[in-house]
Amino acid sequence: MTDLVQFLLGGLVIGSIYAIAAIAYTGIYNITGVINFGQGDMAMISAMVAISLYETGLPYPLAVALAILFGALLGAAIERLAIRPLRNHVLRAIIVTIGIGGALEGVAVVLWGTEARTLPSPVAAHTLHAFGATLPSHSLAVLAVAGALVCGLALLFQGTYIGRAFRACAVNPFAARLSGIEVSTMSALAFVLSGVLGAIAGVMVAPITLMQYDTGLAIGLKGFVACMIGGLGNPVGAFAGGLFLGVVESLASGVLSSGWKNAIAFLLLIAILLFRPGGLFGELERRAR
Amino acid sequence: MSLWRLLPFALVLAVVPLLDSSYLTSVAIIIALHALPALGLSLVMGFAGQISLGHAAFYGLGAYGSALLALRLGLSPWLATPAAIAVTGLVAYGLGWSIFRLRGHHLALGTLGLGIVASIGFVELRGVTGGSIGLSAIPSYPLPGLDLAADQSFFFLAWIVAALAFLAAGNLVDSPAGLAIRGLGDSERGAASLGIGVARLKCRIFALSAMLAALGGALYAHYIGFISPQPFGVGFSIKLLVMVAIGGFRSIGGVLAGVAFATLVTEPLQDLGYYDVVVFGALLVVITIFCPAGLLQAVRDGARRGIRLLAPRAG
Repeated sequence: MTDLVQFLLGGLVIGSIYAIAAIAYTGIYNITGVINFGQGDMAMISAMVAISLYETGLPYPLAVALAILFGALLGAAIERLAIRPLRNHVLRAIIVTIGIGGALEGVAVVLWGTEARTLPSPVAAHTLHAFGATLPSHSLAVLAVAGALVCGLALLFQGTYIGRAFRACAVNPFAARLSGIEVSTMSALAFVLSGVLGAIAGVMVAPITLMQYDTGLAIGLKGFVACMIGGLGNPVGAFAGGLFLGVVESLASGVLSSGWKNAIAFLLLIAILLFRPGGLFGELERRAR
Repeated sequence: MSLWRLLPFALVLAVVPLLDSSYLTSVAIIIALHALPALGLSLVMGFAGQISLGHAAFYGLGAYGSALLALRLGLSPWLATPAAIAVTGLVAYGLGWSIFRLRGHHLALGTLGLGIVASIGFVELRGVTGGSIGLSAIPSYPLPGLDLAADQSFFFLAWIVAALAFLAAGNLVDSPAGLAIRGLGDSERGAASLGIGVARLKCRIFALSAMLAALGGALYAHYIGFISPQPFGVGFSIKLLVMVAIGGFRSIGGVLAGVAFATLVTEPLQDLGYYDVVVFGALLVVITIFCPAGLLQAVRDGARRGIRLLAPRAG
């Protein structure tokens, strides 16, 4: 019983990281129809920036804020330089994002080498006990940040003009343009948002798993799987999918070796793609473009 | 006409041994070995229009399959390789039936997932694959009077096999079946409306493509003599994608040029660490944005424009 609680809690914590990454995909997919295969590497490189800034002696909040700003600028630059020129060609855009991911990974190796680095947690190290399970304080911080992000995004999308414009583009870009919404601005916004979310996911995961050049790929791929479980383009579903994936992985790690644990996510992905291609919660309604 | 396609192969086969450089010979072997899976990917992606991000898995299946048949069953490599290719083809055909229910992004993700599961399998099935240490002492192809483990002689085997594969692929693309494949790549609905069995065709071309990759993998295993899971990961699938993109996706001759270019550019960088990864990523981005028809075509267009500028205008 205590083991079960322990696995469940651990799964929720890592799942909320996947969930943040997954939400980042849905924004871009909804606006541009592109899956950003470089997402995980954007998260990794932002986290590496935070780590480097922190190591030069900047206070933690400032280092993280600058890393998030860096993530936002990176997202904007990628949208402007690589995605916008290909606007109507999804296959080429996928290939370009794969290339960007590879290049970012290579840049990380050139700048920071291959050894794993860590970032301290924003909260003091502390161990909490609940229902017979132990939980480090950083896990609570991760859950709190993820919860706050979801609430914040929900407010942004439901309550503000820009959020409504964003959703309008997702549902029907053509009609959105007719009503005077600048779709290319929204596309840039989607990339900025995903850069920010990626940076936050990277900074939150760094104290748990360490950060190195290839960590991004893992975060990114798990984020995809979460996204597909929840239904591509459905942010609430993506969040739920992230938590679900985290819990399933964590429960499976009690039974399987860590190598096979990684395979679970992808077997789950293939099963979902084949049997419920719209995800467990369905895709956001969208028109063919 | 299609015999013209063999010209670059004949040139390489004639010139490289004359230069008598062991470095050049080994690079040429790598080009031939990578050209086979890249050719397969080009058939699937360029001609049939179906994305695959997991082709390294079939390269790996060919390598592990042939090595295991030779090591565990004591089969001659000459028999183990065709057997491994056949098995890979069957696996791909079976996978094709389910994976090609997907399109676009979903297909990209599904094939990526397959590639990752396969690469994890190569590591985790320790009893069979030797885990991350891999398999060693894989026998080379026996041939009386020739040591096919040596670069100088293996070079001929690799390039002759590659030449035959390219000739066959070129003939396939030009044949009526190739017309159907290209039709599928242009418009799936259009092809289906003309009575082409789209689902079956996709599976066939996928199986053929996997068999080409497996052939490359098997040659690699018996050439190097030992294999580990590392070269068969997602990174290699991406590398193949870059090679095919440089070649221009829909050009059999372009594939060879793409593989050669990518290998010649990145091979010297490999000793410097991970610069080759940066170059690959950047190449993929730049080529996809600026020359969608491939680097070769871009150079050709550029040259044509240059000639037009230089040539005196006809009155």
